[in-house]
Amino acid sequence: MAEEMKHPEKETEIHGADSQISRRAFLAVGGVLLGAPALSLAFSHPLAADENQHEAGAHSWGMVIDINLCIGCNYCTYACQAVNNLEDDMLYNIVTTETTENGEEFFLSRPCMHCNNPPCVHVCPVKATYIRPDGIITMDYDLCIGCRYCEVACPYDVRVFNWRKHTGISPKVPAFGSPEVAPRPRGVMEKCTFCEHRIDIGMERNLIPGVDPAATPACVIACPTGARIFGDLKDPLSPASKILAVEKNPIQLRSDLSTDPKVFYIPPKGTGG
Amino acid sequence: METNIYVPKIQIGSRKFDFFLYWIGLLVLGLLIGAVGAYQVLTYGLQVTGLSNQVPWGLWIVIDLSAIALGGSAFVFGVIVYLLKIKRYEVVGRLAVLIGFLGYSAAGLILFFDLGQPLRFWHPVVFWQTHSLLWEITMCVVLYLSVLLAELLPIVVEHPVFREHPWIARYPFAAWLAKTIEDLSHFLHKIGPALAVIGLSLSLLHQASLGATYGVLSGRGLWFSPTAPILFVTSAMAGGTALLFVLSVVVFRVMRPGMVKDNVLLEVARISGGFALLCIYIRLWDWAVTNYYSFDKEVALQTELLNTIAPYTSSFWIGQILFALIPGFVLFNAHRIKNIKVVTLFALLPVFCTILLRWSYNFSGLVASITYDPFTPTVVLNSYTPTWQEWAVAIGVISYWLMGFSLAARFLPFGKVEE
Repeated sequence: MAEEMKHPEKETEIHGADSQISRRAFLAVGGVLLGAPALSLAFSHPLAADENQHEAGAHSWGMVIDINLCIGCNYCTYACQAVNNLEDDMLYNIVTTETTENGEEFFLSRPCMHCNNPPCVHVCPVKATYIRPDGIITMDYDLCIGCRYCEVACPYDVRVFNWRKHTGISPKVPAFGSPEVAPRPRGVMEKCTFCEHRIDIGMERNLIPGVDPAATPACVIACPTGARIFGDLKDPLSPASKILAVEKNPIQLRSDLSTDPKVFYIPPKGTGG
Repeated sequence: METNIYVPKIQIGSRKFDFFLYWIGLLVLGLLIGAVGAYQVLTYGLQVTGLSNQVPWGLWIVIDLSAIALGGSAFVFGVIVYLLKIKRYEVVGRLAVLIGFLGYSAAGLILFFDLGQPLRFWHPVVFWQTHSLLWEITMCVVLYLSVLLAELLPIVVEHPVFREHPWIARYPFAAWLAKTIEDLSHFLHKIGPALAVIGLSLSLLHQASLGATYGVLSGRGLWFSPTAPILFVTSAMAGGTALLFVLSVVVFRVMRPGMVKDNVLLEVARISGGFALLCIYIRLWDWAVTNYYSFDKEVALQTELLNTIAPYTSSFWIGQILFALIPGFVLFNAHRIKNIKVVTLFALLPVFCTILLRWSYNFSGLVASITYDPFTPTVVLNSYTPTWQEWAVAIGVISYWLMGFSLAARFLPFGKVEE
């Protein structure tokens, strides 16, 4: 090929001859055609490395929501908005009304599922969203470029984009709590963090998340009926593990997608899960 | 090689006039409109768009995907000219490089505004997340844009101003600069085959990954099927080559008569037709598989609902099948039809289909999402309407593309580099 380049004037101008494909060129094109998909596979291998490091962690925070106890009061949403200083148009936690197969209505309250196999983490181009060793899916607001791929990939619609600059104080302050986390800049993705700041500070003080209110997510504390139970899924004595041990049919949302959420629901009585 | 460039004139009554200046004026107006939109977006953030948490990707992403797809002819003809050494396509290949460069730079430009944090656009290059398709696409596009720039430079340097400008004789620095640029351009021309191999690898990677971007969205249902990557690659080859044919007719037949023979132009159309037919063949199997083998409750639900929405059915059967199948056959037989005007008209359809495929991929899945009721899931229809700011930025970026093409068509020789 190098020789051919040195003498381009030797290239024939006759149309019949120039359409012949050299063996070398054929191999080059073929190699690229085979090599590109192989590289692509290597890059997109879902099981690779550090995304699943949380399996080795000492804790795995999870939540159980008893649908039978939920009265749809939205206190979980309001407490979340107060603690995270969210204005009314931003919801980390959503409560909707759904129906069972028998046509009976019930309330479905939905925080981030903190999946063991999180689609949002797999797609983030800059590692701005990641899974902590204790299983919490959280954000690095300094890395996020605001491309919103995680929001498109999330099957649970729990990621919230910061569309505008927020300067005020949440209207839910002080009735439902006071702001506990730093304000986020405009144009980054935000989400439920299981109140990681409460867990981290609580653990430093030897408190037990799920048992001691100061170390437990705000939504769990705010629930007037105790429908939300929080705890370490790796500790069989935690409140969440105890319930899951006796509950026959705890359900995970969209279990067909193999995301393996760490938020479990106790189904309404009479549905059989 | 000196080429005479004819600019077509418009005739009103008995007067003929050169509309080129008016056309450029119109594009400048488009750029100004784009600047107003850009100012709004950068000042007030993405709240000025019609996007929402349910439909987070809109008009800009469709334009971004389409610009990249329609630049697909650059890698196809890089291979044909430099690796397969089919020299009669060399001149057409130069136009392909220009279209590729304009497409990729326009895509980068519009993505800049689409980011929530535009000034962090460089983050993926530094903070690697190698499992993310979007990371891989960003890296490929950045690298490929560099390859296109290296391929474009020798074509721009052909312009006589780089040899004949009076300053070159007057100022030693200008002479040195002109010499350096010319040496660089010779070097880049020589390593053309290497650039073509890199370009082909990068293009296949990211064109496929753009489809896979949607393919991995298992929670969003129907359209985001595992065949998306191959559909995106084949449609980019078909649509990109069809656009190259249309623009080649303008640049080489209307403006530079006789520079490229008609039979070569018709062969370009035939290549495009072949890719279009291949794409449709794969599309039909994909459709069949999605409809006959999806027993999953949620996917079946979405399929049923989307099938009842008119835009979906018509955009699929008319827009993606009929409008690609008919021109596919026509273009594939271009050498028998021989009528350039007819073939050019039909070549516009695959360009349209390439854009429509991306439009459908982006919206059909985002607009219909499933409720989270574990017992009786239903489908909710979200809505999205682009705001004037989104249209303004879109007009600005499209004007940039057209401006680049118009100036190149008017002033660049597109001839062979004299050794």
